[in-house]
Amino acid sequence: MAPLLQVEDLKTYFHLRDGVVKAVDGITFHVDKGETVGIVGESGSGKSITSLSIMRLVPEPGRIVHGRILFGADGQPKDVVKMTDEEIRDFRGSDVSMIFQDPMTSLNPVLKVGFQVREAMSAHDRFSDEQSKARVVPLLKKVRIPGAADRTKAYPHQFSGGMRQRVMIAMGLSNEPSLLIADEPTTALDVTVQAQILELLRDLNREMGTAIILITHNLAVVASLCTRVVVMYAGRIVEEGYTRDIFKNPQHPYTWSLLRSMPRLDAARHSKLLTISGLPPDMSNPPPGCKFHPRCRFRVDRCLEEEPPLGEVGPNQYARCWVLMQNALVTQPEKAAAAEVPIPPLSAEPAQIDQRPDPDRPGAVKA
Amino acid sequence: MATAPSDYVFQDEFTADSTYETGEAVSLWKDAWRRLTSNYFALFGLAVIVLLLLVAIVSQFWTPYPTWKQGIGPTYGGPSAAHPFGLDQVGRDILSRLMGGAAIALAVGLGTALLSSIIGIALGLLAGFYRGWVDTVISLLINVWYGIPDLLVVMLFVVIINSRELKWIIVAISITAWLNMARLVRGQTLALREREFVEAARSIGTRDVGLLTRHILPNALGPIIVQATYLIPAAILFEAFLSFLGLGAPPPEPSWGAMCAEGYKSLQLAAHVTLVPAFALAITLIALNAFGDGLRDALDPRMRR
Repeated sequence: MAPLLQVEDLKTYFHLRDGVVKAVDGITFHVDKGETVGIVGESGSGKSITSLSIMRLVPEPGRIVHGRILFGADGQPKDVVKMTDEEIRDFRGSDVSMIFQDPMTSLNPVLKVGFQVREAMSAHDRFSDEQSKARVVPLLKKVRIPGAADRTKAYPHQFSGGMRQRVMIAMGLSNEPSLLIADEPTTALDVTVQAQILELLRDLNREMGTAIILITHNLAVVASLCTRVVVMYAGRIVEEGYTRDIFKNPQHPYTWSLLRSMPRLDAARHSKLLTISGLPPDMSNPPPGCKFHPRCRFRVDRCLEEEPPLGEVGPNQYARCWVLMQNALVTQPEKAAAAEVPIPPLSAEPAQIDQRPDPDRPGAVKA
Repeated sequence: MATAPSDYVFQDEFTADSTYETGEAVSLWKDAWRRLTSNYFALFGLAVIVLLLLVAIVSQFWTPYPTWKQGIGPTYGGPSAAHPFGLDQVGRDILSRLMGGAAIALAVGLGTALLSSIIGIALGLLAGFYRGWVDTVISLLINVWYGIPDLLVVMLFVVIINSRELKWIIVAISITAWLNMARLVRGQTLALREREFVEAARSIGTRDVGLLTRHILPNALGPIIVQATYLIPAAILFEAFLSFLGLGAPPPEPSWGAMCAEGYKSLQLAAHVTLVPAFALAITLIALNAFGDGLRDALDPRMRR
């Protein structure tokens, strides 16, 4: 079955006065129907620009310079990049919806909540005016807003952050899109509310079959909601695979370090948390070779010169790292030893180098 | 000073789940109204404006004497029981003319504020929302327009139209008065279009027209109303000035400016002919500006808690 969303070699660049910032630099991934995919990365890794590119909402002076964003599982996917202005307007909100990080500022302060939910439907032709009107209260009930019928007449400032995020989700789902992009939906909320919103998203995914792309820097959030994870670093995908594989057996040094830098309840007592030294690269002047090498404790000489391809490092698990690849032979043992940490375990099977895009890879769209 | 809104309860998830009331919808406008009514200077302004409105409406149906009728009493006659504000140089009743003048002043003030606001808001929204060459063209127009003296534009307009009818005076003043409104709205739009709720509305497929009319314009309405309130006294003053120069509403229209112009030649002989309309003008301008200031304080986001 063709995937719902297939992003192919997407490049979104910002042309600034002092050079080009490659915010998203050739990423390829897919989302199947009804699937929940997490995109993880630190600030500036390009995860938000990826989601904005899918919506064609990249802020100036950013532009999608290369790649395809194919949407639609019905055998005739449309390329979002090539859509006309009217097509993209109708695509937003009806095929793909997006919810934003800060629910406190994402609702119009002067309009009543019920009206704003209705407006989301009136922008498209999927429902008539009467239907839209009748759907407002059920939608608010669906996102579990207590007293939904009365609350439609309230203004956003009378809602708490969690309730506002629910309204945003209701608006996002009002046209029954097949994909919901949630850009850090819980970052601005406190932890208990965060859990409620994640639970709501999980339930809605199950009940309505809406696929979800969850953009976050929070690995715990990914673990609780997503079946697959895409890890981004400096505009590139560095690792991709099923959540359970990646959490159990992270391959890329970056993913590995991220997971080791999270406090865990089941960790050995007094064990030290790992930190990733250094800063994310300056995107207007990225390092040569592997973008992660200045912060990597496993780096080999080749990392400094040549960027590794995304290779298959396990069943359905891909990572972009020379150390993981059998033919990255010229290691520097003393450097790895100096790091005083074990090299992350390689998968049991000798890893096959599998440079993508590969037409035989599961989920790939055949041109 | 502003009073903090104290009569709404902040709902959190917890209370909302158990028992909760919808509560009164405490909108921005109700909040502003409360602040405005606690400002006595602004209330004074409002009272004068209401009085002026009543007088202007009444003058359309009844004045003690016809505003144009000459020789009702002695020329330059002082205040008396029959003529509380006296008579002017051709023996017209000044009270009657003052009442008629109120209608002219308000028509010019409100008409100009409305017309120039429409021009300014439309151009400001377009420039701020679409940016690029649209903004370049509109901003250039504003800047060039600023460089041309208002009086010159109005005089040229009046000459070209070759009519001094009130509606043309309003149009003439409006085409000079929209600049500040356009700049204000452009700035507001530039700021608002980057706000998350506009981005969110765009992300659910809202059309440009919807973004402009439902999301950007309503959120800029506070400053727009304040700016429009300041346009009213400015336009009244401009019209009075034009009439004083003999370019405003033609005689025998009882424009306050024209009344001042006619009376000032005999200032030493009969000061009341000038002073009465001048005083009416001053009170009106003070009241409108006081109301505008009060409105600004009531709607200014920085004053909001």
